[in-house]
Amino acid sequence: MSAHAAAPGVASPAGRWRTRDIVVTAVIGAAFGVFMAGLNAVYAGLGAGAGSPWLLLYLGWLLPAVLAPVVVRRAGAGLFAELVAASVSVLVVSQWGPDALLSGFLQGIGAEAVFAAFRYRRFDAPVVALAGAASALLAFVHDAVIYYQGVAPEILALTLFWMILSAAVLMPLVTFAIVRGLREAGALRGLPA
Amino acid sequence: MIVLPELDVRQLASPMGRASPLTKLAVGLAWLAGLVATTDPRPTVVLLVAGVAAATGLGRVPVGRFARAWLPFVVAAGGVVLVNTVFGAANADAAARVILEGGPLRVTEPALATGLVLGLRILAIAGVGVAFAQTTEATALADALVQQARLPDRFAYGALAAYQAVPRLSLDLVTLREARRTRGLGRGWSAGLLLALLVLALRHAERLALAMDARGFDAGIPRSRFRPVRRRREDALIAALGAAALAVAILAAR
Amino acid sequence: MEVAPGECLLVLGPSGSGKSTFVLALAGLLGRDVPGGLEGALRVEGPVGVVFQDPGAQLVMERVDDDVAFGLENRGWPRAAMAARVPEALAEVGLAGLGRQRTTTLSGGQQQRLALGGALAPRPRLLVLDEPTANLDPDGARAFVDRLAALRAAGTTIVLVEHRVELAWRLADRILVLGSDGQPVDLGTPDAVVRRSGRALIEAGIWLPADVDAALGVPPPVPGSPVVGGAPLLDARGLAFGYRHRDPVVRGVDLAVAAGERLAIVGPNGSGKSTLGRLLVGLLRPDAGTVRLLGDAPHRLPAGELARRAAYLFQDPEQQFLATTVEAEAGLGLRGGELARLPELMEALALPLGRFGARSPYALSGGEQRRLSLAGILARRPRLLVLDEPTFGQDRATYRGLLAILRERLDAGVGLVAITHDERLVGDLGGRAATMAGGRLAEPVAAEAAA
Repeated sequence: MSAHAAAPGVASPAGRWRTRDIVVTAVIGAAFGVFMAGLNAVYAGLGAGAGSPWLLLYLGWLLPAVLAPVVVRRAGAGLFAELVAASVSVLVVSQWGPDALLSGFLQGIGAEAVFAAFRYRRFDAPVVALAGAASALLAFVHDAVIYYQGVAPEILALTLFWMILSAAVLMPLVTFAIVRGLREAGALRGLPA
Repeated sequence: MIVLPELDVRQLASPMGRASPLTKLAVGLAWLAGLVATTDPRPTVVLLVAGVAAATGLGRVPVGRFARAWLPFVVAAGGVVLVNTVFGAANADAAARVILEGGPLRVTEPALATGLVLGLRILAIAGVGVAFAQTTEATALADALVQQARLPDRFAYGALAAYQAVPRLSLDLVTLREARRTRGLGRGWSAGLLLALLVLALRHAERLALAMDARGFDAGIPRSRFRPVRRRREDALIAALGAAALAVAILAAR
Repeated sequence: MEVAPGECLLVLGPSGSGKSTFVLALAGLLGRDVPGGLEGALRVEGPVGVVFQDPGAQLVMERVDDDVAFGLENRGWPRAAMAARVPEALAEVGLAGLGRQRTTTLSGGQQQRLALGGALAPRPRLLVLDEPTANLDPDGARAFVDRLAALRAAGTTIVLVEHRVELAWRLADRILVLGSDGQPVDLGTPDAVVRRSGRALIEAGIWLPADVDAALGVPPPVPGSPVVGGAPLLDARGLAFGYRHRDPVVRGVDLAVAAGERLAIVGPNGSGKSTLGRLLVGLLRPDAGTVRLLGDAPHRLPAGELARRAAYLFQDPEQQFLATTVEAEAGLGLRGGELARLPELMEALALPLGRFGARSPYALSGGEQRRLSLAGILARRPRLLVLDEPTFGQDRATYRGLLAILRERLDAGVGLVAITHDERLVGDLGGRAATMAGGRLAEPVAAEAAA
């Protein structure tokens, strides 16, 4: 092996995933996977469900799907992070199993579709809000079909309202607050964000 | 502090333990589709019983261990029963038999019936989840995803490395909370605490990625397989039994 | 410069001299995961094996044998060759028979030897190690260096970056000295380097083995004078604690610390030292026995009062950072008068706020992080200091500065419990030292005997 001359620092131009991007995305997913497992317990304990303002907590399940893409800016980061989060919550605390992987997939693909629609060139607040909304929409469809099949339409509408509010308004605020903090701490050196 | 679960030898040597995680996942998703397709209690109960049997019988998950993982879902199931009953679409039906009425509240029998079935559905889904998690090691899942589902190696093993970091992250969290207390800041939580945890997670990821690349993870040559995944008899067995249970469930429906 | 096959090159240099960057360059990792550029030419024949400082940050797979095989899979080794090579590599690092163990259940020393095994498995032509023993206890470090000695004897080419060289010195065929600007200062056999640059090395703060120090005329350390008869600060009796039921980590520990008194607690990792430290400052509640900190059970004290009475320095500095700038971190939780002490204290700790205040705590070197984590504690001036590895990563100059501050606090009547592997510190502090093993604390003896 030999290395000559300079190599560029941060991102390879074609958006190729470096190992660091992969592991950073996966660790964000893993951290939130554990967090979600805790959130599941709190949420179930609160008896929260359809129509409740507690649904504002929903961003806790969706955050990796936007945080990871904002940090690493790679195609597929949202889906990958969300799937890792789901797998970790399944394997570490035996929760939900295949259903968790399904909902992780839907939440991830929702956000991913929006970032892809902007050709992975925009990771600003409006796009993150849109990605959050898309992620919440698919999460809502999943929950409505599997958990809330008997619930009245007006309550479902309220459920969707709280979820979108959580994902499209609160989540971008939280995401950029986290990114700002990470940047201050120097944890994003060498990463595209 | 979180310790990664260690499955015992009997669980791993069981038919569920030896089958590919993807086989179990496919059966689980097929059952999920079956559960979602109906609000009839009978198929739901069939798959609920089948899930418990799969975990404790085919998966040799000790009953106590199964119960510890499964029982917390009774709370979640209760919540689902509650919302579907109280906010049930069927409550608007003037012809339905009312079982509870007071103020804005009107609870009807069909809403309760639907709610109870959906509660059972949650328990069935949870049973499948425990059966999957208690017979599947992370390494086996990563191997199967790469070798059978043809997912890229770098993502699967990158994820596995992150999974390995979970106990360390939980220890970081415990220590950060202790550090808060020793600084006179009380036992509580703060945004700074959670941010510090994420910083540590990212720094750990950075070091881990470096160590992985130092061992040729990004060498660009096709990786070989230390643990080849083969299709086994157990895969056929789990798939056949899974399909049979689903068929019984469908037949049990009205 | 060149490194010949079979040679062992020891790289020395002060903090910030680019030792780690040198390792990354040799490993071909610069400009990929790590931003930065490489100038000049570097040729390495054949694959390079690398071992980093933090054992826990190098584990990829769940089980030991899979982890060793990871690097072989990456290089496309055929399965049969891997099956033969993995147990061999494990045996080379003294982990034979542990193949199916979980990597997370190994001790830090074992994990580091596992990392060595993983690096060795593909039979690299060159092995590069970046402070591999820094996070290990003395036994773990000795076991690791013994393995390196065996590898060197078997003809492996080694480049070893080390901060404290007591153990590694005897391995070196040649020594490369880097200056604080990253420029090479000297290169030669250990004897030649000591002869030519010995004084310069000492002035740069680089640690040398005790016999080399003596030959260069460095005066041996003067132990601190033990204090007797201070007012009692801390009294613990029959302390026991376990994180899990029926699995005690600390068993039946008695200890007392008076004002001005110093007590060093030594012993291998995993013997319960850190848990004992946490019990003493009320972070954990004892399962049995009592702790009295100035008369009260510390775990019942409100956080503010507890912080005024006792401080605890955690082993890993990064795990206690809660702010994103050095200034905010040092001042976190401090009040007016305490905050006013900070600028002078930071100066004394070689972290002047003018230069370091706005930086991120995470961007500091390990030694700087250690001193930063001490700053807040020292500014608050609690009555009791319980410090886990207070001298980690320090060079001669910062070590001396730290020791002076600690002695000044002791003279002011503070009690000190130092949990440490640093034998030099045990001697320099004086007072008593007690060995912990298997959760039990032996009767303290005079520190000179323990060090």
